[in-house]
Amino acid sequence: MNLQKINEKAFIKHTKENIKKQLESPDQRIIYLSQITNKLPQIINELYEQLRIITDRKYPTLDSYISIKEYCNFIFEKKITFTQTKEINEILTNDIGISFSEDEKRTTKEIAKNILDLINTKENILKDIETLFEKNYKNFKEIAKTTIACKMLEIAGSFERLLSMPASTIQLLGSEKSFFLALRKNKKTPKYGVIYNHPLMITLSKKNKARFARTLASKITLAIKADINNVYIADSLQEKLNKKIKNYNRDNNEN
Amino acid sequence: MKINNVYNEKEQYFTKDLLTEKKRYWDPKRSKVCAALKKNISVFPIEKTSCILYLGCAEGYTVSYLSDIVTEGKIIGVDFSAHSMQRFYLLSQKRKNIIPLLEDATRPEKYKDLLNFKVDVIVQDVSQKKQIEILKKNTDLFLKENGYVMLSLKTTAISQKKPKEIVDEELNNFKKHFKIINFVKLDPFEKKHIFVIGQKK
Repeated sequence: MNLQKINEKAFIKHTKENIKKQLESPDQRIIYLSQITNKLPQIINELYEQLRIITDRKYPTLDSYISIKEYCNFIFEKKITFTQTKEINEILTNDIGISFSEDEKRTTKEIAKNILDLINTKENILKDIETLFEKNYKNFKEIAKTTIACKMLEIAGSFERLLSMPASTIQLLGSEKSFFLALRKNKKTPKYGVIYNHPLMITLSKKNKARFARTLASKITLAIKADINNVYIADSLQEKLNKKIKNYNRDNNEN
Repeated sequence: MKINNVYNEKEQYFTKDLLTEKKRYWDPKRSKVCAALKKNISVFPIEKTSCILYLGCAEGYTVSYLSDIVTEGKIIGVDFSAHSMQRFYLLSQKRKNIIPLLEDATRPEKYKDLLNFKVDVIVQDVSQKKQIEILKKNTDLFLKENGYVMLSLKTTAISQKKPKEIVDEELNNFKKHFKIINFVKLDPFEKKHIFVIGQKK
């Protein structure tokens, strides 16, 4: 074969375009960002524990009454952003007399500042994800809600792969481990995956959760298909879901 | 068995680097082709002038060594991941006999127009469930008459049965489309893998 006939430039151009297309696509961006947000709480908690090694000596039980952000604000600038209840006041005033040295003050302030920054970046990333969904996959976001939509994208790998999945697969996304275990041992297969945490699911009974998972998955697939064609059908889908839940509640009351 | 630019010293494989002309150690734990060489495979169909299609090239560790062997030929590396293809693209800038192609190897009809010639050897290293089907699709379109295929089968990717059963099943499947020349287990280097060399019928 004549190797000089190969058009190398065409290959290189093709790959360059494809790399750019893949890495700049909104679904890949959402996946990267949500992977970061999954990891950030772990880092924040670890830093928070290190901070409390020093500060617990002065305020031993303060952390159980206020959130991490409020705690760090209090350590960093002595800014009180929480409501001062009796218990907190007691902790703040009942001082045994332990005081921090200059070094300790500096290090605690620095760690607290780092934690606050990390919390800030996490909030900003969540906003970015929201806007990316709003721009590109509006129906999907409205029906599945942002956190679950993120998880689904992460498991599927890309929006294109999610598009080719039937509703039954989408219903079980996230329960792969138990699903394949059930297949191997000839036991009952799971009923739901990540959609179990959907806000509409919480109020339902166990039997209705299994029923509703099926409907919800089918509506999510419809929403995904609408997003590719730039049609907005989320409102009508939401109405149908609400109607279904009303029916479940009515049946319960009749029984 | 003599291979161009490959030396065997004390059961360790080295290649003569294309760029620096120094000898370079080939790690069998990272490259399945080298592991197969170390397990004494009887035939090695890659020569100085061959043109290779490598499916599942990843970042190009094995391909870089094959490019040392194929000094007067070409290697076309196909992979689906943009992340690893970025590194492979940079490698192809250094080594002029490598050509990158970011496509899905399970859909060869997508790059049929671009790859409009036949190659001598197809090497496949994609850990997928339907590996032989993928190989069949690609060989039908791109392999010469009597061309060779080199396939690394990952048994755990196919099913959770015992490896021996899967190997028997898959080799029977392989025999339908290709002539088996030799196969080896890659046992201490890659667990539950076999490496098959075949020829197009």
